[in-house]
Amino acid sequence: MKINWDDLQSKSFYQATARERAYGMLDKDTFKELLGPRDKMTSPHLLILGEAVEFDDGITVGIGKIKKHPVFVVSQEGKFVGGALGEVNGAKMAYTLKLALKTYEKMKEKYGTVPDDRKPICIVSFDSGGVRLHEANAGLLMHSESMETIWELQNKVPYIAITGSTIGAYGAQGFVCLSADVVIANDFGRIGLTGPEVIQQEVGKDEFDASDRALIWRTMGARSKYILGDVDYLIKDTIGTFRDTIVNMVDEPMSKISKTRKVGSPQLVEENLEVVKLAAEKKIKDSKDLWKIYGNENVDEIPEMSQEKFLSVVKRRPRRH
Amino acid sequence: MALTELNYEFKPETPKTIKDDWSHIGVVASGDLEVLIEKENALKGKTKIHILTTVVGFDDVWETVVKKFIDKTGLSGVRVSINDNAATPAVVIRRLQQAVDNGGGLQ
Repeated sequence: MKINWDDLQSKSFYQATARERAYGMLDKDTFKELLGPRDKMTSPHLLILGEAVEFDDGITVGIGKIKKHPVFVVSQEGKFVGGALGEVNGAKMAYTLKLALKTYEKMKEKYGTVPDDRKPICIVSFDSGGVRLHEANAGLLMHSESMETIWELQNKVPYIAITGSTIGAYGAQGFVCLSADVVIANDFGRIGLTGPEVIQQEVGKDEFDASDRALIWRTMGARSKYILGDVDYLIKDTIGTFRDTIVNMVDEPMSKISKTRKVGSPQLVEENLEVVKLAAEKKIKDSKDLWKIYGNENVDEIPEMSQEKFLSVVKRRPRRH
Repeated sequence: MALTELNYEFKPETPKTIKDDWSHIGVVASGDLEVLIEKENALKGKTKIHILTTVVGFDDVWETVVKKFIDKTGLSGVRVSINDNAATPAVVIRRLQQAVDNGGGLQ
C-alpha cells in the first residue's frame, strides 16, 4: 500500500483523513505507523454494544522524521465516533507520547545532552469530541495518562497541537490541545470545552443558540482563539503549510518554543484568569466585544475577511509571560 | 443489537491478485466503511471475505454485492476484511475498487 506524499502537500488539511495528515506532515515517506489497521486492534466495548468498530480505532499513531528530529505523531479521525477517546485509541495516544519522553530520556542518558536540532518532537492533530461515552471510565483513564505525560514532556520535548479538521478539539481533548507548547490552526480549527449543542441543552437557547453557525464560529473558532492567544499560528488549509510551519520551528531551542505555552505555571494561570475577570467585569455578551477590547475596530467584518487580510489587521491579546 | 458477522468464500473463474502485500481504504464514518485486503499464500485462487456490520437483515444484499465485485474483478488469493457502518451498496463497491487500486491494482 502506498500513500503519495507529494499529492498530500497541496491537499486540504480539513478534508484529509487522519492517516493522510500524519503521513503528509513528516518528511517524505518516513512515517511508520504503530498498531495500524493490519493489527486489527478494535475496541472491545463497541463490539459488545453493537456499534461499528474500526481496525485502527479511529486514531493513527506512529513515528517518523522531520530533518534530524525523531517525530511522534498522533492523528485523530473525527469521522469515526466523533473522534472520541476510548480505551484502545486513548492508549495509543498516551503511549505514543510516552514513547517520545522515553526517547528523550534515552538520548539524554546516552549523550549527556539533547541537541536542539535532534530533539524528539510530539505532534498531535486533534479531531475529537472528547471522551467516548460508550467506554467512559477507560477513556478518561487514558485521558489522564496523556495529561500526565504531557506534564512530564514540559521543557523537554516540544508538544505541538494542531486543530483544523471536521470536529475540532472539544471536551477532554480541549484541555489536551491547550496544554501544548504551540497550537497551530487553519480557519476550520475549533477549540472548546462544552460543545454548542450541549450548552444549549443545559443552559438554554438564550445562553447559546446551537443553530447559529456564525455565533459558534466566532465564539469557538480559530480566529477568535487567535485574537485571545490560544492559537499561535493561523495558517492556510493545506497539509503542506502545516508541515512548513512545523519545519520552521523545530530547530529552535526548547525555551523559545515553550514561550507560547498557555498553562504550566502559576503566572500563566493568573494571566488566563484575567481574561475571565475582564469578561465578567465588562459584561461580555459576544466574542466581538472582547475583540474590541483588544483593539480590533472592524469586528463585524472579521469573520468574513480573507485570512491574509485578517492576519494583517488583527490585534491580539498582549501576553506578559 | 449485536453486530452482524458475515463470512463468504469465493472462487473466481479468472483469478487475479493485488500487487502489494496489503491495502487499506476508508473510515468507518456513518454511511461508510473500511476495507482491508491482505494477501495470503494459503488462499491461492480463493477469496475469503469477513464483514462486520451494524445493519441487520441485509445478508443477501451483501452477498450479491461482494460476489458481483469478485466475479467482475477476479480478486483472489486474499483475505478481505470489512468494517461497515450502514454503507449503501454503491459505496461498498466504490470502496472495494479503491482498496484494489490502492494496493497497486490487479495483476
